[in-house]
Amino acid sequence: MKIWENLIEDTKKIIPSDVQCEIKMINSIDSLTRFANSHIHQNVEEEMTDLYLTFHSDGKTTNLNFNITSLGSIDEVVKKALSEIENNPKDSSWSGLASKENSYDGYRNLSPENPDLRAQKVKDFIDQGGSFNGAGYCSSNVSNVFVWNTNGLSSSDTATSAFLDGIFRSETSSGSSHLGHKTLENIDGEKVGQEAYSIAKESQNPKDIDPGVYEVILGPDAVSTILVFLAVYGFNAKSKVDGTSPIEIDTQQFDKKITLVDDPHKEGALNFKIDASGSPKAQTEIITNGVPKSYFHTRRTSTELKEKNTFHEMFGWGDSFGGLGTNLYLQPGGISKDEMISNVKKGIYINEFWYCRVLDPITQVVTGLNRNGSYLIENGKITKPVGRLRFTQSFMSSLGQGNVLGVGSENRFADSEFGEGILNVPMLHLKEFNFTGGVSG
Amino acid sequence: MFNQINKSIDSAIGSGAQYADARILISKSRNISSKDGELEDFNNSENMGLGIRALVGSSWGFYATYDLSDKSLIEAGKKAYLIAKASSKVPGNDFPLADVPIVQDKYVTPHEQNPFKVSSTDQIDLLVSSTHEMKKLGSSIASGRLNFWDTEKWFGSSQGHEIYQNIIESGGGISSLSIGDGETQIRSYPQSFGEYRTGGWEVIQSFKFLDHVERLTEESKRLLTSPQCPEGTRDLILEGSQLALQIHESVGHAIELDRILGWEAAYAGTSHLQLNKLNEHKYGSTLMNIVADATLPGALATFKYDDEGTPAQRVDIVKEGIWTGVLTGRDSAAIAGVSPGGMVRADGYGRLPMVRMTNVGLLPGESSLEEIIASTDDGVYMETNRSWSIDDLRLNFQFGCEVGWLVKNGKIIDMVKNPTYTGITPNFWGSMDMLAGKDEWVFWGTPNCGKGQPSQIGHTGHPASPARFKDVRIGVRG
Repeated sequence: MKIWENLIEDTKKIIPSDVQCEIKMINSIDSLTRFANSHIHQNVEEEMTDLYLTFHSDGKTTNLNFNITSLGSIDEVVKKALSEIENNPKDSSWSGLASKENSYDGYRNLSPENPDLRAQKVKDFIDQGGSFNGAGYCSSNVSNVFVWNTNGLSSSDTATSAFLDGIFRSETSSGSSHLGHKTLENIDGEKVGQEAYSIAKESQNPKDIDPGVYEVILGPDAVSTILVFLAVYGFNAKSKVDGTSPIEIDTQQFDKKITLVDDPHKEGALNFKIDASGSPKAQTEIITNGVPKSYFHTRRTSTELKEKNTFHEMFGWGDSFGGLGTNLYLQPGGISKDEMISNVKKGIYINEFWYCRVLDPITQVVTGLNRNGSYLIENGKITKPVGRLRFTQSFMSSLGQGNVLGVGSENRFADSEFGEGILNVPMLHLKEFNFTGGVSG
Repeated sequence: MFNQINKSIDSAIGSGAQYADARILISKSRNISSKDGELEDFNNSENMGLGIRALVGSSWGFYATYDLSDKSLIEAGKKAYLIAKASSKVPGNDFPLADVPIVQDKYVTPHEQNPFKVSSTDQIDLLVSSTHEMKKLGSSIASGRLNFWDTEKWFGSSQGHEIYQNIIESGGGISSLSIGDGETQIRSYPQSFGEYRTGGWEVIQSFKFLDHVERLTEESKRLLTSPQCPEGTRDLILEGSQLALQIHESVGHAIELDRILGWEAAYAGTSHLQLNKLNEHKYGSTLMNIVADATLPGALATFKYDDEGTPAQRVDIVKEGIWTGVLTGRDSAAIAGVSPGGMVRADGYGRLPMVRMTNVGLLPGESSLEEIIASTDDGVYMETNRSWSIDDLRLNFQFGCEVGWLVKNGKIIDMVKNPTYTGITPNFWGSMDMLAGKDEWVFWGTPNCGKGQPSQIGHTGHPASPARFKDVRIGVRG
């Protein structure tokens, strides 16, 4: 992009030779069409170009960020940064800039999807709902990232994504569905609508059941929430540095049926192939047959833990967050949804979790609720929809040895408490899950 | 700036929009974090851009750009119109807009010292010395953070609004985390994630972090060897900041009119409240008086006009336990037939304004924490939030706190760890039987309220004083 090339050329002329500098630019067009009460009520688009500048000199570091409009002159910014840096204490965990050899050229000049196509996808969804009340969104995104540093690294990448996410509500029930893809045209609005409608219809007039420990089948969105919590609080190497991670590498902590990889190169992966240091990401084993194999590292965490960098620094996040995989795939098993249900003597099917919060990061005990479709399964058959349940359950134990009875055969991009498009997962059948409250508290 | 705004608005109206408004923002923020006596992160941020909103039939179209050239501003107005128009494929009933005064005005947050003009060395030193002291005293992880925002907003509308506001917000906090055998315990001050208000550097100075480092470290270490919070049904006494979050989750979100109307159904959820029960529904005990007041000096959600140009105001939400009010915007208020309350705000120039809590607080009672504890035979006093979860109707909640104190026969007898409580909103508020007075009433601030799609972070205020709730289920564990 011309704007980027000009900025780097100007910067090169003014950076003192004894100063290390890294500049990142995120340029994106985010569009989202939102519907409720079965019509579109909000429809938005934002074009942004944000710059993140890091300066390191005399053992001290400072970070500045601007959007391109407020940047003004790069000359002034560099002067301001070098003046501020003098006030800062030494940065003892500075881990340097990525090397020139890590440069990667992935930029593509792509145009955004148009609002008419998003509206059509919404219509395709709404049309499946009959008299039920539809709500949700259809989004599309084109993002470009650029990284340059004084080591001579120059990297870029482009990613696109589109999602259709919606619910249908009746007087007594709701049902949801969610699909993601690189392009909007490949999202099947009718399919998403039919799934959400079917769940809402079958969930009508739910019955309350007693809290307790139940066998569960978790839909992809619920599975995704468990994994994203483990990723953020456990596999994020920053939590290991802080002493709050429950994850021990090369230890059998999970069931053998659990294998998780981060693979930005897999066909259809939605997120960037470089990290925020500008370095290319490789396929990374995270859990293999229940054994943790790697944390998500940044430059700083890999230096502090003296482990190999996995290049999982996030664009737009500070050093205090750490690293996170954004192209995570849970290996599918061979069990269909019907077969999985037929294997349950008494249990609960949960379509989606809601408002999950960690009680203690080191035990990964989390509380949250079910929503948008839950059923009681008895003797291999769905017998009735069930109402609101609160769980208080260790997510580590939920995937622990012997607790994973089955892994579904079909993967999909799932939504999670920390966003969509990060995880591609199948359904899971778990032996025990602890529900601590019902509708009455 | 108003000339630029009007170019965009004129373009939207000229394209066919029935109404348009636009905001230009210059937003500065500074985030400083420290860990174990070292600077962890120092980040200065600044951005500038325009967001324009156009109403066409039953939908808002919104477009935001960082490019403030004339050509771009005119294009932005057209795009906002075209985006709104695309919605006509799936139309609803036309949105009316409630009438509000058309105002030209200026407002600057009262403050003593702009935090961006205070030496960053002083700000860094405060955090580094606080976390250094806690580490020295035996904290496993001593952390601290400061956040400052200086936001200049120019708002104009096709009806003639021209409003400039400069909102200054400051906040932060410190925490001591102790790691034991397979568990962590934490104590934070002034509250978890810090305390935030409108105002300048003087807000931070008033917290006196260093006066609290010894207590926080000692308590986080002591929690590791303390007994678990007992399970069962007991009286629950909540410290002010925890009660503030209880208000936020079980009252503040439930009274948002956009949720009640179903506009947030797919993501944030709806509400257990139904408009036809307004002025009838029993929300809590007669001690419960909730107001939404955007005019409270120094509270986090204090301003003079919201992001639709509606004047800030005080609205009764619950009076003596009866639900009486909602949080509204011009569109939702007109649909529901209530007055617009000036409660619509956006997270930056790039986001569509939406209904947001202002300072939704519980008016003080006439008791005191000391009296509440002295009159409790069997209960737990819980301080400082650690976890929070509530269903999408805002009914079924479970909160965890950093520390609990066992109360027997009017006295605190022991510290307990992992305190949690759970309940159902109207039952819980109906059980409030004692409420501390004005001397202990604090304008707690929440700087991290998530809502909307695309996601927006809101800054909300929740004045509260300690209170007692009878027969609450506590000590829920996994």
